[in-house]
Amino acid sequence: MRGQKNELNHAGYRRTAGDKTFDTLNTIFFALFMLLCLFPFYYLFINTISDNDLVARGAINFWPEGLTLSNYIALKNVSDLGTAFLVTAGRTILGTISMVLVSAFAGYLVTKKEMAHRQFFYRMLVITMYFNAGLIPTYLNIRMLGLTDTFWVYIIPALVMPFNIILVKTYIESIPPDLEESALIDGAGYFKIFTSIICPLSMPILATIAIFGAVGHWNSFVDSLIYNQTAIQLHTLQHVLYTYLNKTSNLAALMNSGADANAAAAAAESALNNKVIKYTISMVTILPILMVYPFMTRYFQKGIMLGAVKG
Amino acid sequence: MDATLSSRPKQRTSTADILYYVLRIAVLLAMALMFFPDLSPAKVTALINKSVSLFSAGLSYNALIADSGRPLRLGWVQAGSFQILHFGSMAAVLGIVFAGACGCMSLGNLRLKRLGNVFGIAGGALIIAGMGMTYIAYHQFAVIVEKADRIAAVLPNAIYLFALLGMLVLLASVGVQLILPRAAKTDEYKMAARYRLMLMFLPIAVLAFVFAYLPLYGWRYAFYDYRPGGELSADTYAGFKYFTMLVQNEATRNDMIRVLRNTLAMSGLGIAVSWLPLVIAILMAEIRSKFFLRTVQTIITIPNFISWVLVYAVALAMFNTDGFVNSFLGLLGIQSDANYLMGNEHIWLKMLAWGMWKGVGWSSIIYVAAISGIDVSLYEAATVDGAGRFQKMRYITLPSLMPTYMVLLLLSVAAILSNGMDQYYVFQNAQNTSTIEVLDLYVYNIGIGEGTSIPLSTIVGMFKTLISLLLLFIANRTSKLVRGESIV
Repeated sequence: MRGQKNELNHAGYRRTAGDKTFDTLNTIFFALFMLLCLFPFYYLFINTISDNDLVARGAINFWPEGLTLSNYIALKNVSDLGTAFLVTAGRTILGTISMVLVSAFAGYLVTKKEMAHRQFFYRMLVITMYFNAGLIPTYLNIRMLGLTDTFWVYIIPALVMPFNIILVKTYIESIPPDLEESALIDGAGYFKIFTSIICPLSMPILATIAIFGAVGHWNSFVDSLIYNQTAIQLHTLQHVLYTYLNKTSNLAALMNSGADANAAAAAAESALNNKVIKYTISMVTILPILMVYPFMTRYFQKGIMLGAVKG
Repeated sequence: MDATLSSRPKQRTSTADILYYVLRIAVLLAMALMFFPDLSPAKVTALINKSVSLFSAGLSYNALIADSGRPLRLGWVQAGSFQILHFGSMAAVLGIVFAGACGCMSLGNLRLKRLGNVFGIAGGALIIAGMGMTYIAYHQFAVIVEKADRIAAVLPNAIYLFALLGMLVLLASVGVQLILPRAAKTDEYKMAARYRLMLMFLPIAVLAFVFAYLPLYGWRYAFYDYRPGGELSADTYAGFKYFTMLVQNEATRNDMIRVLRNTLAMSGLGIAVSWLPLVIAILMAEIRSKFFLRTVQTIITIPNFISWVLVYAVALAMFNTDGFVNSFLGLLGIQSDANYLMGNEHIWLKMLAWGMWKGVGWSSIIYVAAISGIDVSLYEAATVDGAGRFQKMRYITLPSLMPTYMVLLLLSVAAILSNGMDQYYVFQNAQNTSTIEVLDLYVYNIGIGEGTSIPLSTIVGMFKTLISLLLLFIANRTSKLVRGESIV
């Protein structure tokens, strides 16, 4: 639809010299913009797959040389990275699914006018979007509930997301009510209607909030930092990456300490250095996002449209 | 509503209803209070951690004995006492859950109500039994002579409170059960739709309450000399000491001024460039090739979807001593080993730049969405009138985007104190803390990071919340006045 409008927008007049100059400059501007966004990732990537001696000398700037995957293979010796990956993948999958289910069900329930005290409950949800008690009271509350140093602190507090519930509610309200009414007459219960009619019809919005939720879970590290400070085995990938980025000690030695002699020798041979290790861990953390990103864009756009309507 | 309900004699119904209200209030109270460590009946000795509520005591034996490892090893106290306490608390929690089930079922028809009352009776009995066991545990601690000062057995008032609530539940459900007539066995368990819906929603409301409203209870820490592991009691009550400290203590006051300046400067810079995404969106709409447009949209939004830690990783790769910029300068024959991330210079601008690198592409997509909503006939009419491309940008696209821009501008003004801590936390180092520390980061640093002052950081958080609410209110009012519609 956008594309069509663009054509209409541009049709109907001849391109003057000024237009051509503008178009060229515009294209150059966006090309540079894209370069600015992509180059850092490209730079990280080529440094992780190049010969480590060259990387150490700062010789890899624009293209890879001496291709090798040894850095990625060496990462298997970093045991806390594997744990962090499992924790993060676990919270992303579990957290996203549960959040979407809760949002969908809550969004459906608040559309039901016959619900007792509906206004009260709905307002109670919406208000929470605009205030929070602050970092310390929130932390003390979580600690009081015994959720600190547990995996569940990543999942449970993030179950009820008022904004997502509003998005689902708005979407469900746009579904023709006759579908639901006829099912009600056929004797289906609310839950049955929710699972067999509302859920399938709301898939686009559920996919959108799922993707936003998943990205949020994958990227979050402040909750790990605050609530699970001392529970190192529960640190998320981003948190572990941050720890590594700030380590100035010899990471190569650290990595090899737990590994067997062969791996240690291999790592020493490949002249692993701090820089490369940091780059490689960063790359491993970025890759999942970059790989699914192209498939997600169309949901992002949809999400932003809905957000704009609401905002 | 229901045939069996309305056919009952009027007088009896109302007595039952009153009893049910008593029961529901008792259940709600018990449900809320079992999460408060201050009101935990299980805290019968000083050996139990102060942050253990009745709920945690009933759910986790480890939480109950977290602080008692040494006394248990040395044999001052018996594990059996703790186990009695644990099972007592568990019984009470289970009883409260049962009573809650009774409260829910009390909204149903006669058959369901009578079933619910059985739960209520069991629940009330369990709560009372749990308190009884707690008392036995207390007694076991109290009779120990050796190290009595360390064990410091006390009988918490909360025992009486929960026993009372249990009694109310028990009596109310017994009473209702006696008042209500028997239901025919042929009746089905039923509940009116409006209550069924409400009960389905209840868990969600409870979650929202526990994680969004309950933290407000933590504001009381602002009034106590609280240190991690300490307690809130009359002894540590500090009144408004920390409030006055905020303005009277010179070091604290200077900190506040510095932090506020950083916050306002960085938010202000962000607002000052907030028109940039709008311009980029207008330029984006002028792209002719659909393929190129889609590519641009995809690529420039990527940085928005990586975490701040990864932005920091990227920053290190580019600007560290051995990063790209220095290597590139080396290629040009300029030797440089500057570390552009370490120092204290131009931090506000650097943070603005990173914020923009991450967010400008995404923000402009919002305006692209708005542009696609502009009525095409406006452009057609303008073309017919002989308007050129730039005139259409200037007189159609730009004015059409202004409402969206105003909304976002007002929202960002309302959020002027909330920069979040992620970005500033990852870029923070020993050299730049003084200029990078925004309010959110300051709250973290003094409250959790260095753990120097929980009361003070609670107060700062309180003020932040209240001022933000006020700003939002003002922004909303402004929007209503100017645009005739609210933004929130």
